[in-house]
Amino acid sequence: MTPLLLVPFGLVALAALVVPLLIHLRRRTEEVPIEFAALRWLDPRPRPRSKLRFDEWVLLALRLLLIALLALLLARPAVLGWDDNSPRVLVAPGIDPAAARKTAGPDADLRWIAPGFPAIDTAPPASPEQTSSLIRQFDAELPAEAPLTILVPPELDGVDADRLRLSRKVTWRIVGADKKAEKPAPPENPALSVRYQQAQAGAVRYFRAAAGAWSDAPRFDAGTGTALPRQDAVLVWLNPGPVPQAVTDWIGAGGTALLGSTAEVAMPATTEALWRDQTGGVLVEGGFLGEGRLMRFTRPLVPAQMPDLLAPDFAATLRDLVTPPAPPPARVASAAFVPTAGAAPYPLPPRDLAPWLAVMIAIVFLAERLLATRRRRFAA
Amino acid sequence: MAHTPLTIPPEVRSRLKRLRLRTRSDLGTGGFGMHPSRNKGAGLEFAQYRAYEPGDEPRRIDWKLFARSDKFFVREAEQESPVSVWILIDASASMAQADRARPDWSRLDAAKLVALCIAELAMMQGDRFGWIALQEDALEVADPHGGRAQKDHLQIDFARLQAAGTFPDAGTLTPLWERIGAHDLVFFLSDCFDEGGIALIERLAKAGREVLAVQMLTVEERDFPFDGGYLFREQESGATLVGDGKALREDFLARFAAARAALDDRLDSAGIRHTVYVLDEPIDSPLQTFFGRGAPPK
Repeated sequence: MTPLLLVPFGLVALAALVVPLLIHLRRRTEEVPIEFAALRWLDPRPRPRSKLRFDEWVLLALRLLLIALLALLLARPAVLGWDDNSPRVLVAPGIDPAAARKTAGPDADLRWIAPGFPAIDTAPPASPEQTSSLIRQFDAELPAEAPLTILVPPELDGVDADRLRLSRKVTWRIVGADKKAEKPAPPENPALSVRYQQAQAGAVRYFRAAAGAWSDAPRFDAGTGTALPRQDAVLVWLNPGPVPQAVTDWIGAGGTALLGSTAEVAMPATTEALWRDQTGGVLVEGGFLGEGRLMRFTRPLVPAQMPDLLAPDFAATLRDLVTPPAPPPARVASAAFVPTAGAAPYPLPPRDLAPWLAVMIAIVFLAERLLATRRRRFAA
Repeated sequence: MAHTPLTIPPEVRSRLKRLRLRTRSDLGTGGFGMHPSRNKGAGLEFAQYRAYEPGDEPRRIDWKLFARSDKFFVREAEQESPVSVWILIDASASMAQADRARPDWSRLDAAKLVALCIAELAMMQGDRFGWIALQEDALEVADPHGGRAQKDHLQIDFARLQAAGTFPDAGTLTPLWERIGAHDLVFFLSDCFDEGGIALIERLAKAGREVLAVQMLTVEERDFPFDGGYLFREQESGATLVGDGKALREDFLARFAAARAALDDRLDSAGIRHTVYVLDEPIDSPLQTFFGRGAPPK
């Protein structure tokens, strides 16, 4: 256990100790006039005033202590190595709290794997997110000697791509039965809404064909107006000329739009090439605009200009282009995800003593007030 | 300034009854009357007649009255004492000093009460007494008389008496020599800080007067209980001194004790009986010292 000051400069405040000293210094300037006939036997050259003297020693000591404690508070005292090495148990969301309590014992310190590591008595966290990251954080913040047990369900969710490598050997316990994993439904194919003018009507069929290729029940509509589709549909805007403000607002609110090469629009700053042909020429560029995505063909949608329209993978490429990126895989079989030890332990931050000091200051302050305002003091 | 008349506390009064003012020449001689009288026997001043008792001198019988009344009467006169009691009371400014603990009890107040006790004693034993207030400008002299009227006179005089100024110089003191007769008993009530006062009583003693000196001191002069910064001011010269009570204390006590010892030596060698009265002592203590049973005079 090593005491230390985080802000030693705060001790400069100790200079304020002089204030109570000055207050309590017996005022030497007072000279009580007194008649004294035997003056001639007084030493005409009195020695210098005797040593400094102070009134009300107890009160002075309390006030000095108060100021010293305040200065210490400013200097932020802390202590290194004063660690709580009691065992901890982390519980992954999805485990029944009662089962976790039963497994770990009635006195164990059980905490959810969730931001802030709430105690298990609180409501279970909603969804497992960043489980790996939270386990690493908890391990890093734990004193090196404290044992750690992690209770996980058979299938652990919210992990990242890296194996868990912690600074200590943890007890990895799988709690609960293996649930029958339901087959997740494949993501829905995007709906296409084409807006065009008669001049571009030839291009519409490529999109209709692509939508037809995606699904047996294609979600596709095409129109010559400027009516905007639902927010989850993909807008294919083939109208030439400036793009109306309504369309950019629709995109900014979260929509995905694919513009024809004749559309005039200010592309967002994050614009980059999204689709290149075999020769490396850019076919589609785009970027994020507000919440949504704005993409634009760089060439007219005619096979002479853009042979890829006729390529067999056009439909698949278009779907990849307009569907949002899939989340990274985050589910793992817990039995295969046992953390390994060996990571370098993290130096723990020193424990701040400010709360204890604040309590002491409050007590000393109360005592000082009690002493300073007692009636007997003013009676004299 | 409303002065309540001085009164002797009852317990002091009862103690005074056991005291007698005696001069040195009384000692051992005994004799007739309190003090040796030049004309022994009946005095000149008529006091009363009383019936003859066996043992009275036949010459003291009033024969004319016998002729008229056919009874023997003895004519009694007031005991004439040739000795007067003089009270010299120092009324210089330093006598006004009182203790902070008891600001209404100054040295002069104590001196007045001692004087009243002396007057009471003198009156009880039929001695005449007078007083002289020693002040800078003029002496206030009351010639010695006996009787209650003289005591009332003293009360009135003392009620007006205020301590002020310095000790009178030799010129002012001249009338004193005409008044105080040889063999008179002189009480000197003073703080004895003035050289003039000591010189005066030394000369009086040398000239055959019997002098009893009471040095009146305040408690603060004896104990010097000062703690903290003080501005000491001497009343008569106006000299001041700033000092810390505690720092000055030891030195003052040593020097003051030395000064008192020197004064004792000086008065002893002059043949002056003397004592010290501190303001917190019972008022009759100087008289007990001089005349009490426990402390026979030298």
